[in-house]
Formats: sequence, structure tokens, C-alpha cells
Amino acid sequence: MDKKLNYTQAMQRLEKIVAKIENGEMDIDSLTDNLKEAKELVNFCKEKLTKVKSEVKTILDEE
Amino acid sequence: MESLTLYELNHFVRQVLEVNLNESYWLRAELSEVKENRGHCYVEFVQKAERNNSIIAKARGQIWANKWAFIRPYFENTTGQRLSAGMEVLVEVEINFHEAYGYSLNIIDIDPRFTLGDMAKRRQEIIKQLQDEGVFTMNKEIELPPLLQRIAVISAATAAGYQDFSNQLQNNPHGLAFRTKLFPAVMQGAQVEQSVIQALNVIANEMEQWDAVVIIRGGGAATDLTGFDTLLLAENVAQFPLPVITGIGHEKDDTVIDLVSHTRVKTPTAAAEFIIQHQVAQLRHVEDMANSIAQFATLTLRNEQLRLSRIASRVPSLFSVRKAKEEAKLERLLMDALTAIHAQTAQQQSRLQLLDQHLHLASEKLLTALRHRIALAETHIAAANPDRVLKLGFSITRIDGKAVTSAQQVEPGSQLTTTLADGEIHSVVSGE
Repeated sequence: MDKKLNYTQAMQRLEKIVAKIENGEMDIDSLTDNLKEAKELVNFCKEKLTKVKSEVKTILDEE
Repeated sequence: MESLTLYELNHFVRQVLEVNLNESYWLRAELSEVKENRGHCYVEFVQKAERNNSIIAKARGQIWANKWAFIRPYFENTTGQRLSAGMEVLVEVEINFHEAYGYSLNIIDIDPRFTLGDMAKRRQEIIKQLQDEGVFTMNKEIELPPLLQRIAVISAATAAGYQDFSNQLQNNPHGLAFRTKLFPAVMQGAQVEQSVIQALNVIANEMEQWDAVVIIRGGGAATDLTGFDTLLLAENVAQFPLPVITGIGHEKDDTVIDLVSHTRVKTPTAAAEFIIQHQVAQLRHVEDMANSIAQFATLTLRNEQLRLSRIASRVPSLFSVRKAKEEAKLERLLMDALTAIHAQTAQQQSRLQLLDQHLHLASEKLLTALRHRIALAETHIAAANPDRVLKLGFSITRIDGKAVTSAQQVEPGSQLTTTLADGEIHSVVSGE
């Protein structure tokens, strides 16, 4: 997974994988790779949504 | 010359007014000043020229405490606003003249519906202008970013609204992360416009740090919200580059900035809830996608395993059929090969036999021919024997052992040896 991905791009990538599955375009050979990538994307997105980053925490502490 | 004191003159004016203008009148005018003092309310009325806004009439007025105690709640409950400068009002007044304080209007009643109508009219004018400028829906057209996480809050520094909002966000039960920062502004009265615009400008300067702007005001008593109904502020909100969420907490009517903002909610907590729900939807979306991918993967793997085991179970029987076929084929090939080899060998053998016969015949023929030739040679040899020739009368003459075959070889004096069949004659050549 590209480390410079932002949330929006990660979501788009994730949606693409889901669409590929729904359209029956996913074969067994690419499944493992896609699954691995999807897992990373999901973790990344959830972290963005939930995990209180140190940056956020610092700013909150200032106030 | 007869003269009057100032009091006498003013008293005279008062008497004339009291006699001639002793009724009450309904007055339409704009308030240019409203002040409360010791339970009384003091105002100033103005009328401006439509052409250039210059003041063409002006008067002081007051509502005595006994009236103000009724007029104030009546007005505020009907309009949702405090009596304030800039408002158009319809009031019942008595003309009052005091020797020391001069001319003033004594307000005894008010018709709040007039002010309401005027406010609505003014608001309509602002809305129309925003629509004409093409900015009315601009903020609404901004798509909310997928991450609504960093929230710039415009609110009064001291009000509970901001605290409620922040607490609600930070204590959300979904573990969602938020960052909020207060940009303090005056949230009531005449300074709202300037103060909120200033806060918006500060946020605009660092807009890449924020996902949305929230303008909130703690609820409570109806206060003066006319400050939120100005064209300039509405233009600023409508054209703001980030989505603006308003929770100004007005009971009755939306203010103009509620109308132009991206999303309008009733209270600060409702604003927080709106943002939380947006993030929850994102979280659900991510989780849904994760689930469907996982489901698909599990299903695919199970299907592939089934397929594989189905194929695997068929392999041995398929293989044995194939094996038998291959063996039969091999045998056939072997037989063919053997037959071919046999045929080949037989052919070679007959060829060899033939050659052998030819060889015998040829050698026989050769031997016969040789025997003939030997016999012939023997005849020739016998014919050429010198003894036989000498016996026939021929002789051989030699000089120094060499046979003389020409007269030229002989000179006078040469010694000749002549061989005959039964001996030799030695002679010397004489003459020529």
C-alpha cells in the first residue's frame, strides 16, 4: 500500500476492490494480494477515523 | 417690554401641546438607539430620506417601567428578538413635552407584527440579493469531505454552547477522533456581523487545517439575532470555501445565515451529533467493505477447495484409463517395430544369398578365362624358342656378344661369332 495515500484515496481504492469483487472480476490469483491490500486500507481508514493521533492530542492539550 | 422666563415659555408650549395633541397616535419609525435604565426603556426614533438615507426626522422616546414590563415580553415572544437599533417599529405614542427635558414620545403600546413583517421583508430582500448574486446555494454545493474531523468553531468564548459541542464530540461512543478549536466571536447584538466575519477570515487563512466550520450559540432566552440577518455576513458564509454548519439556536425563524449555510441544526449538541453521524457512516462504510471483502475471500477459498478436491478425486480413475490406453498403444508399436525388423532382416538375407551366388559364378568364369590364357601363352612360348629356330637354319651373329641386326654394325676387321643350332663359327670380316 502506498504510504502517501490519504483517506479519500484509500476509500476509493477500497471501493474499487469491492466493485471488482461484485463484478466478478477477482480471480483466485490476485485474491491474496488484494485481500492483503484491502486489510491495510481498512486499518488505515479506521485509524484515520478513530485513533487519536498525537498531533490531535497535542493540539487538544494546548487548549 | 414684557418677557417670559424659559420655564414660562416651555410651560406655555407644553400647555398648547397638551390641549391640542391630547390623543395617542400610531407611529411607524426606525429605532436608532435603544437603552434600558432602571427598568425604563429609552429609545431614539429616526426617519431617513429614501433617496440618500439622510435623517429627515428624529425624536426621543421612552417606555416607562410599568409599560415596559408588559411590552418587552410581548414583543420578544412574538418576534423572537429584542427591541434594538435598526428595527422598524409600529408603536402607539403620546406626545410629551417637559419644561426641562423637552419633546419626547411616550410609548404606551407596540405592534410586534409590524416589526416581524419588516424583518421578514428585509430578510427576503437579502435572500433575493444573494440569489441574484448567485451565491445563495454556494456553501450548500460544497460536498462534505469524507473526513469531518477537524472542526473550527465560531462561538462566544464564555457560552456553554462551545463546551457542550466539544464534550459531545470528544465523548462520542464510537471512539471517533476529532479536533476542535474555538474562534471566539460576539454572538448577539450589533457586533455579530463584524465579529463573525473576522473569525471566518482567520479560519480562511488556515483553511487547509480544517474540514468544516461550525457557528454555534448556546440556546436560552430569546435574544437579539438581527446581527445574523445581514447581507454581508450571509455573503461571507455562503461563499466560505469550507462547509459551514450553523446551530444558532433560534426558536422561531431561521436567520439568513442558517439559510445559506451548508447544514443548519437547532443546537450546538445537534451540530456535534450531525458531525458524529457523518463519521459513523464513514466507519460503517469501511466496515461494510471490509466485511464483504472478507466474505468473498472465504467463499472463494471454500469454492476453490471444493473444486480442487472434486478434481483430485477423479484423477486416479482418469489416470488408470489413460494408463491402459497408453500401454495398449505401446504394445502395438512394439509389435509393429518387430514386424518391420523381421521384414528388413529377411530382405537383407535374400540379398546376401544372391550376392553369394553371383560371387561363385564370377570366380568360376574368371578361373576358366585364366586357364585359357595360360594355355595360349604356353603355345606362344613354345613357338618362340631360339633352339627351334636355329634348327630351322637360322643363325645369330654377334659382335662382342651383341646380336648384329644391321650391316652398319659391321666394319672390316670385325670379329663375328655366329651361333648355329649345333655350335658356333668365329669369323673376321674382310674388304668392304
